[in-house]
Amino acid sequence: MTAQDNQSGNPALFTPMLYVGAAIAIIAFVFSGFMLMTQGHAAFNMDANVAWGLPISTYVYFALMSSGLTLLAALAMVFGFKQYYPLVKRAIWLAIITLVAGLAVLAMEIGHTFRMLWAIPLNLQVESAMFWMGVFYLADLIFLLWKFQRMERGDWSSKLSRQVGIAGFIAVVLAAGTLALVFGMMSMRPFWYDPTLPVWFYATAALTGVAGLVFFTYLSYGMNTERMPKALRMDMEGPLPRLFLILLFITLVMFLARLTTGLYANATEVNVVWADYLLASGWFHLGVWGGILLPFVLLLARGLRQSPAIQMLAAVLVLVGMFIERLYFVVGGQVVPLFKGTWERDLVAYVPSPTEWVLTVMGIALVFALYALGERLFNLSDMPQAEPGEAEAEPEATAEARS
Amino acid sequence: MAKWGMVIDLDKCTGCQACTTACDMENDTLPGESWQDVLYYTEGEYPSGQMKWLPRPCMQCEDPSCVHVCPTRATYKDHDAGGIVFIDWDKCIGCKYCMIACPYGVRFFADEKPLVEPDLKEVFAGSGGQLWDPPGQSPDTDYRRGIGVQPKGVVSKCTFCYHRVKEAPEGVPDLDEDDPELVDYVPACVRTCPPKARFFGDLDNPASNVNKLIGNKNGIRLKDHTGNRPQVYYLGAGAGIPAFQPKS
Repeated sequence: MTAQDNQSGNPALFTPMLYVGAAIAIIAFVFSGFMLMTQGHAAFNMDANVAWGLPISTYVYFALMSSGLTLLAALAMVFGFKQYYPLVKRAIWLAIITLVAGLAVLAMEIGHTFRMLWAIPLNLQVESAMFWMGVFYLADLIFLLWKFQRMERGDWSSKLSRQVGIAGFIAVVLAAGTLALVFGMMSMRPFWYDPTLPVWFYATAALTGVAGLVFFTYLSYGMNTERMPKALRMDMEGPLPRLFLILLFITLVMFLARLTTGLYANATEVNVVWADYLLASGWFHLGVWGGILLPFVLLLARGLRQSPAIQMLAAVLVLVGMFIERLYFVVGGQVVPLFKGTWERDLVAYVPSPTEWVLTVMGIALVFALYALGERLFNLSDMPQAEPGEAEAEPEATAEARS
Repeated sequence: MAKWGMVIDLDKCTGCQACTTACDMENDTLPGESWQDVLYYTEGEYPSGQMKWLPRPCMQCEDPSCVHVCPTRATYKDHDAGGIVFIDWDKCIGCKYCMIACPYGVRFFADEKPLVEPDLKEVFAGSGGQLWDPPGQSPDTDYRRGIGVQPKGVVSKCTFCYHRVKEAPEGVPDLDEDDPELVDYVPACVRTCPPKARFFGDLDNPASNVNKLIGNKNGIRLKDHTGNRPQVYYLGAGAGIPAFQPKS
């Protein structure tokens, strides 16, 4: 199979998507930049109570989606599950662009972005989880770009290429884990304080990664599996939706465990957050039941699971639902007023400002624009050429996997 | 070198907020962004409800969680300056992780929506990177220690009025506002306190008045379970914080 055979880039879709996405991202960047220049951070609704709001949760959302996509790619790159090879290049490209989008949103949120570039490396505060998160995500991005460059050259399995893939996997495990610990090590914020938080982040990262991959793969092929290369089509009908279902199950079980312990706890900062903030919000219910339980139910039956429309629906539900969950997670750790006395008689009220939403739109538009760019410049459905002797064995293996 | 500590006697404190006002004037903070304030609490319900109050400066913790989390070492504990926790405004990137990690809520970004109208950031628009240009701005500025008018995009906090304290004679056990020789070196909140509920001295000096007060009157530290070990001690009844309960 040649690279040209695999080409999914549809100019009729991706050319307008590139220009419209880029235009929206640029307009959003200019608007939020103008608001920051004229109003400062008063353009955001964060304050001394809720110091981290929607831009941070958007960063966490994109960073973890990127991590999930890398973990998914590692199934083939590191662990030798070759049936996932048709998905790897698209997953790596998506991992790169979602991480870039997340970092772009983060850069607009913090007080001194350019100072960060020298102040973090020159001061080496190794006690800070945020320092290590930066180090590991930077390493992750470098290895992703390197691996993509090797794949673009057709080098999928040389010693160097495999080592870069393994290094990228290690970097992403450390990166997503330290991102979790940025929250999970805060004992003064009991809602977040949880040594197992990295496990929750890994599971939900993988879930959003798979959902993102399903969404963009079907977008590339116009929901038509007949247009896909055979190996990719087999993946989309068998192993990938099954993995999607397993990840939904794991996430659902973990969420129910978190919910139960949260409601059972006597500690106000945990119990009140679950009972009076999360579960009191219709949006949160929409996010978790609509974004985890419903897609799980939809994918339970094998017949439905193989349907592109159902997979696409499940992917959209997960992507929207987990976005809501991330926002409530980040804000939930801050809604119990800390040391405020009667100045804050109730849970802290926080609603993102229009500028915060525009930043989120900028991140989303950036992902769509860069994905379209990737489809135009690269063959994202490319996969290693089958070696002699493997040509016959591989379809059998994939057929087995489908069942 | 001294280890500066503060003792606040809640049996004497009247909750008058003179300390808050003095701090605001001394440090040119924006309204509502007071580095030192007095918090009010209600405990119990009618007819046995009580009102309590608690002055709250930065605790200048011995093991400050804000220092551990800061990714740029902008927040640091300066043992050569009496163990005061400072923020280097030239290194702070405004990530606000220290605000998340401080158990006492005594860090201020201030580059946000005004807490009090009119917005003084507009009335006295800032120049040279400052959030605002207050009338009669204090001449004391030391960005490496977060002293002066807060710039945009960084976090600020109480410095125990280090610009005053640093001028104190070496080896003095206490900075007592009643001592004419020392009154100019006393932190603004301590000097102003009308009922003399605040005391400031060297926690490493066994002869200091603050050490005697802590020892004789069972001084306690707030939220000691966090392990931060504040250098601010409270005396008297009510030195605790009722658990949060939504009031609505």
